[in-house]
Amino acid sequence: MKGLIFSVKRYSIHDGPGIRVTFFMKGCPLSCLWCHNPEGISPLQETVNQTNKVGEKEFVSKEEVGIFYTVENIMEILDKEKVFMNQSKGGVTFSGGEPLLQFDFLLEALKACKANGYNTAVDTSGYSLTENYKSIIPYTDLFLFDIKHLDDDKHLEFTGVSNKMIQENFRLLLECSKEIMVRIPVIPGFNDDEVQIEKLKQLLLTAKTKSLKKINLLPYHKIGTSKYKKFNITNRMENVKPPSKERMLQLKEIFCEVGVKVKIGG
Amino acid sequence: MRISERVKKLREQSLSAVEKISAERALLITQFYKSDEARELSAPVKRAKAFEYLLKNKKICINDGELIVGERGPAPKETPTYPEISLHSMQDLDILNTREKVFFRVDDEVKNTYKNEIIPFWKGKSNRDRIMGLMTTEWHNSYNAGLFTEFQEQRAPGHTVLGYKMFNTGFLKIKEEISESISILDFFNDPRASERLEELKAMDLACDAIIMYANRHIDKLEMLATTENNSVRKSELLKMAAVCRKVPANAPETVHEMLQHYWFIHLGVITELNPWDSFNPGRLDQHLYRVYKSEKEAGSLSDDLLFDLLGCFWVKFNNHPSPPKMGVTASESNTYTDFCLINLGGVKADGTDAVNEMSYILLDVIKEMRILQPSSMVQISKKSSDRFIHKALDIIRTGFGQPSCFNTDSIIQELLRQGKSIVDARNGGASGCVETGAFGTEAYWLTGYFNLPKVLELTLNNGFDKRTATLVGLETGFASDYKSFDALMEAFKMQVSYFVDIKIRGNNVIEKSFANWLPVPFLSVLVEDCILNGKDYNCGGARYNTSYIQGVGLGSITDMLTSIRYNIYDKQNFGWEKLNNALDENFKGYEQVQYELIYNTPKFGNDDDYADQQAVSVFEIYYDAVNGRPNSRGGSHRINMLPTTCHVYFGSVIGATPDGRNASKPLSEGISPSQGVDKNGPTSVIKSASKIDHLRTGGTLLNQKFSPQFFEDEDSYDCLTSLIRSYFSLDGHHIQFNVVNAETLKDAQKHPELYRDLIVRVAGYSDYFNDLGEDLQNEIINRTEHEEV
Repeated sequence: MKGLIFSVKRYSIHDGPGIRVTFFMKGCPLSCLWCHNPEGISPLQETVNQTNKVGEKEFVSKEEVGIFYTVENIMEILDKEKVFMNQSKGGVTFSGGEPLLQFDFLLEALKACKANGYNTAVDTSGYSLTENYKSIIPYTDLFLFDIKHLDDDKHLEFTGVSNKMIQENFRLLLECSKEIMVRIPVIPGFNDDEVQIEKLKQLLLTAKTKSLKKINLLPYHKIGTSKYKKFNITNRMENVKPPSKERMLQLKEIFCEVGVKVKIGG
Repeated sequence: MRISERVKKLREQSLSAVEKISAERALLITQFYKSDEARELSAPVKRAKAFEYLLKNKKICINDGELIVGERGPAPKETPTYPEISLHSMQDLDILNTREKVFFRVDDEVKNTYKNEIIPFWKGKSNRDRIMGLMTTEWHNSYNAGLFTEFQEQRAPGHTVLGYKMFNTGFLKIKEEISESISILDFFNDPRASERLEELKAMDLACDAIIMYANRHIDKLEMLATTENNSVRKSELLKMAAVCRKVPANAPETVHEMLQHYWFIHLGVITELNPWDSFNPGRLDQHLYRVYKSEKEAGSLSDDLLFDLLGCFWVKFNNHPSPPKMGVTASESNTYTDFCLINLGGVKADGTDAVNEMSYILLDVIKEMRILQPSSMVQISKKSSDRFIHKALDIIRTGFGQPSCFNTDSIIQELLRQGKSIVDARNGGASGCVETGAFGTEAYWLTGYFNLPKVLELTLNNGFDKRTATLVGLETGFASDYKSFDALMEAFKMQVSYFVDIKIRGNNVIEKSFANWLPVPFLSVLVEDCILNGKDYNCGGARYNTSYIQGVGLGSITDMLTSIRYNIYDKQNFGWEKLNNALDENFKGYEQVQYELIYNTPKFGNDDDYADQQAVSVFEIYYDAVNGRPNSRGGSHRINMLPTTCHVYFGSVIGATPDGRNASKPLSEGISPSQGVDKNGPTSVIKSASKIDHLRTGGTLLNQKFSPQFFEDEDSYDCLTSLIRSYFSLDGHHIQFNVVNAETLKDAQKHPELYRDLIVRVAGYSDYFNDLGEDLQNEIINRTEHEEV
């Protein structure tokens, strides 16, 4: 069994505790307008042109986006990084894309990680079958769970999918997972108005369990812009500006009322 | 802590003072050598008398507002020369005066003095002239081809650090020790007893001289006090006079006394001769803590006074640029920095954690002073707390390149492997760039950089150097003669041995020259067991005597060999003919080949064993060639891996190389990967770098540039702390962080005037960005951009 992975990040320090290795798995059922990993949306291997300069001369080569990894490949990479994971109490994070889209592979990989004693995290949109979540809970130390918007029509408009299943899975993980961190992307014009912020806060206040450890507020940023060009995808958020630092601090204060740690950024 | 107006003013004066050459010392030493007295003396006594003559006749300088006194020259940044070591020609003086970077202004009076007094007397007689005349043709050919440099060509051997003993005793007590050593000389059974007597007499004279020098400061201070109208300053001047009366004659008992005590010693060392890496107070937090604590308990030291004293002390180092160099030596280490590296933290003699209150106070001083000299570092052991590391990171994040991080546990193991006692090892640390030493007990001389990639270039060309059109190496064959990668490595190994032999033969002659002609009785008093042995520091008198040859360009040569292995032998992507033509043409018309070499060939720094195994092979070959070879002082040669700025000079003498590097471009520095080839982030760099055995070196240098984002919050501090500890758990010796962004650097290149205080970490030391050559500036910018992607 192989998984399609479009990027492996070492010294990953924003996807869970400590120094981690993050595997970005290809394919996502959502298509969020602000997506900063657009190369992770398609579940297929893609080829893009890569331009490299030697002096003034440019060389164009074909670059494969998405490489198939076996679970053994994953373990080899983690073995190289274990000194850092041990020292920092870090581990491995499966992100994407949506890692549960490659559920069978994810489950095998998580089992192998736990068998080797690694701390595991799954960074998910929440959009997958409930029984899939139930299957991986025993092998997942931490869920990083995206909550984007609570109104279904808005959610559909901006991410391409309904949020009903996401809400359901969220409640399941709050009840049954070891640890869960909520990640709220703060997207101007989408979910940063007072009404929506209040709703998000209320949801977290009422639903929180002891599993809920942290809220991460992820300000919209433009890092993905160059990728849109590279992958020939229309960037529909070109005119949206990142939220100001002051606004982020305001939001942080609001979410602090939930009673768990709130952090701006990952 | 905030620096006071007094220190602010002194700091500003130090920053704005212009580096100048002073002829004072050159003139005095010439007068002395011309005198009748000088003619009849043994070498050590002659040098001691010269030392006395210098200290007796040099101008005494007291700067307004300062609390610690003493300048090497007549005023801050007025820098003496050492014609007995190497003689500047009129042309050298012109170059120093007009060169764009690291200049020294030379006024007409100095020029006239040189023309009429200094040059006529010393021409052909300096130590540099002497040793150059003693070197073999092979040595000269190799030196000219850029295979190695020679540290002792323009500066004296030094490279030592003041240890525990001298911080806790005075020179009157030392004089007693000397006379005791004299009293037990055995003139009947020890044929060298009379030599020892001369050396011990010289040491005794040197002790008197330094006390006399302090007395001259007392006179000047008291004179200034009589005319001082400001009553506060007046009492300060009298206090300072009292301090100079106490030290260095007697053991210091207060912070003020200890700082002044050290400073007189420092001045003595850098006036006697011009040793590499000036001199160094070493484990300053450990030494100061005793007097600090007793003063605090007595309630006699306010925080304000403490910080004022430390601020004044810091400024002193910055007032003293490294003596002006010329020629190759200027390229190998082109900087005003004189490599004084203050050590904080580490472990105590009994092995327990040494971090104390003073460690934190000094970190505050470093943060607030933000000044080029002195350099600073933290020794991190497995016993150090995260708090200590976080505090260091707090300063590192501000991007001025200090402090760097060292692994105490590795340093101790390195020293133990070389045969030091456990106590001497624990009392040690690193000085200069990254060099391991037993403080107060070891003479560890750096003898020169060794150009590993250049050896490969010669190995591929049957020993012939195209740049100087000379047959320099062994005729082991041309590139295409090597039928396998192993055959190439075998030839490379022979060439390395050949050049190391040439270097070591030269080293032994040069060391003898210093022993015979230029003993250093004052420095000998400071380093144990010179008095006990009745032997000079330059003659093997110290408890431990080590000679280092510093390997340069590990990342580059690894990539070159890996590329050959991958493209020629394993994958057979192209043959030698094509590669040779590409290199001969500096890739002009062969851009496709260069592209393959740069982008499609494995590189060191990515935790890829295919590439990294070449680093290990080169390391082992170099280690075997050097390690354990006897030096002339009863000790051994060892290796370390550091470049200062020599990777730029060494790159300039090498043509295009199989890693895709263009001719004359800088090599990689330290054990860091080549510029921009590490694609997997810091953990992979660390893994690659730790594949060589650091414990069998006397220091390695790993440079990691970070954009400031890596330091944004508590979590990232924790991760950086773990990163450091991980590297150190793999026996890594040293890691330094350069926190800057490329935009800042580019702007600094355009508007140097706005960035007078921009300090970046270069390689084992920090320097003002403005003082770096354009090539070095560009290299740092390129690296930064690479990190930011």
